[in-house]
Amino acid sequence: MRVLSDPKGYWADLTRSEQGVVAFIVAFAGLLLVGLLTGALAPTYFLYLVGLAGMYALLSFGLNSQWGFTGLINFSVAAFFGIGAYGTALMSASSSPIAGDLLPIVGLVVALVVAALLALAIGIPTLRLRADYLAIASLGLAEVVRLVVLNERQFTNGSAGVRGIPPFFEGFPVLADLPQMMPGLAIRPLPGTTIVLETPFWGALLNVVVVLGFVGVSYAVLRRAHRSPWGRVLRTIRSDEDLARALGKNTYGFKMQSFVLGSLIMALAGVFYAHLNLFVSPGDLDPVTTFYVWVAVILGGSGSNRGALFGGFVIVGIREGTRFLNEFAWIPIDVAPLRLLLIGVLIVVLMRYRPQGVLPPQRELIWPKVVDEAPDRPDSGVREAKVGGGDD
Amino acid sequence: MVFDYLASGLVFSSIIVLGSIGLSLIYSIADFANFAHGDTMTVGAYAAFVTFGAVGGLGTSVLGLPIGFFVALVAGIAVAAVVAVVTEKVVYDGMSAGSIELLITSIGIAFVYRAIIQIGFGADFTRYEVQTLRPIEALLPYGVRVTQHDVAIVLSALVLVGSLHTLLQYSDLGRKMRAMADNPDLARVSGIRTDRVKLWTWIIGAGLAGSGGVFLGLYNQLSPRMGFNLLLLIFAAVILGGIGSVYGAMLGGFLIGMINQLTPVLTELGALLPLVPDSFGIPIGIEYANAIAFVIMVAVLLVRPNGIAGEAT
Repeated sequence: MRVLSDPKGYWADLTRSEQGVVAFIVAFAGLLLVGLLTGALAPTYFLYLVGLAGMYALLSFGLNSQWGFTGLINFSVAAFFGIGAYGTALMSASSSPIAGDLLPIVGLVVALVVAALLALAIGIPTLRLRADYLAIASLGLAEVVRLVVLNERQFTNGSAGVRGIPPFFEGFPVLADLPQMMPGLAIRPLPGTTIVLETPFWGALLNVVVVLGFVGVSYAVLRRAHRSPWGRVLRTIRSDEDLARALGKNTYGFKMQSFVLGSLIMALAGVFYAHLNLFVSPGDLDPVTTFYVWVAVILGGSGSNRGALFGGFVIVGIREGTRFLNEFAWIPIDVAPLRLLLIGVLIVVLMRYRPQGVLPPQRELIWPKVVDEAPDRPDSGVREAKVGGGDD
Repeated sequence: MVFDYLASGLVFSSIIVLGSIGLSLIYSIADFANFAHGDTMTVGAYAAFVTFGAVGGLGTSVLGLPIGFFVALVAGIAVAAVVAVVTEKVVYDGMSAGSIELLITSIGIAFVYRAIIQIGFGADFTRYEVQTLRPIEALLPYGVRVTQHDVAIVLSALVLVGSLHTLLQYSDLGRKMRAMADNPDLARVSGIRTDRVKLWTWIIGAGLAGSGGVFLGLYNQLSPRMGFNLLLLIFAAVILGGIGSVYGAMLGGFLIGMINQLTPVLTELGALLPLVPDSFGIPIGIEYANAIAFVIMVAVLLVRPNGIAGEAT
């Protein structure tokens, strides 16, 4: 790791905005650490926040692989998220009206299959057309999915939601009972504060492990895919679809693959959410979730995976941070419209003044080997090469 | 029963038509799908709400509506147009971006409009302070329950759409707008001041949306989400009619509004059609009225992406 061996050189190598982001992350992590040590921030709630942030990071990855890679405008993030959450909830929950009490892993598979089918169904009519048709149709799809979940009570319990969802590791050997088996710990990080870690803490820790696994695998896959020849075609489609077609690429097929891939990752986030929250309701399909994720991706930098990761964390900061505003009595209005205003202003300001986001994709698009092996300057000057090689 | 659904379909489609014309105009001349269009309708509705509260009834009434309401209608149209022009000048105009970036920006604009309205008026439903009317007696024997307000909505919409038609077909501005929708570059080199035409497009489109919002508030209720909830239907209408075609948008709006209000007929189809048993019906409740518009939209995209009146792209 160059960060440890040569921190000064690493810092100097970063762009201005990267330095800003690193400073921000370090400061924020410090703040959280202080909160944890003084007991102001309960460890279990902290882990819940980390899980939530991982979930938003997954959603941002999914949207980034559609919008950031290929330029597909998907306004139904909430729908795919909801499909994932309801897919696993209806399979594994004890109160599920259709199947119920199956292993969460079965729910995971079912959710992903349904999400893929839905993505195909919406992709087939719209991906051949101009990009804005997908935007309109996907906004409609999100509404239809929400209406179906809300109204088909015999399948989804309607507005009552689905309760009794087991934790993700239900039915696994060892891991299923781990939170109960772990002993309660009382630690004193600072004199005067005692933090007790009990079963909920270990359960939350397991959740974080799950989401970190999901995020890690998705990040690795997307990073590799983005650099691969497949990813290069997607980037070409984004900047000039006619060019990609002129190069003989089946752009419709590539767009479809990118759309389905992104939708699967969003559904994965939904699966995790169901097992984190242990309760899902149609309220979770509110279209505003979609636009939280959009802000995350645009803020992070469209097309940049690490940007999407960063954006996902910032969104959780905004969402949970504005919740605290309610505790200040001097703010006379409800926080919900303020949050909406913040999201709207963020979208407009970003698109207007910094459409590339804070961490635009730069070096991550290039194989590191190429950078390392590239000579600082060419072996021979252009003029010499011309003189040497030309006949005239 | 069917006559009643048709009548309310006519009222509802008047509102949709007012929305879809504006969306289609802006789509073809400013060249992007304006997702803030629904919230522009909300802006118009609330501006009329405030104006009506301020000026009051003003004496005599026409079709069950006091004169003050028509003043409020004009105010709603004006405020929606001004808000749209300011947004265009402050946000969209300075962006050197493609239609996709503008589309995403318009989502942000939509949220800003809605949030400001919600901060100002709360999230609850409100109504205009006009007397609730009983259905017109003369039509009740035919099973049609429409109030004079509904008649006022349809007539006002007809007047607005008629004047737009005159403007587009017979005025200089209308010819310029059609030229610009057809080919912006050609319009520009022909000496048309495209900036000015674009500005007028925003004024007309947003003004019509504002009037649609006022009528929607009169027909139903006002709430900060009213416009955004209608946006999907309006888009469906525009796509059905063919993006860029104003007359297509009118036709599409009419059809989508009708279909939306005729949804209850699906469940009682057997009683209406000859040769099928009375109990026959397609079990789709009114809660799926918006979903049907979506399915129609997707079907149109599959079969005829340019819409029923659209030109080739």
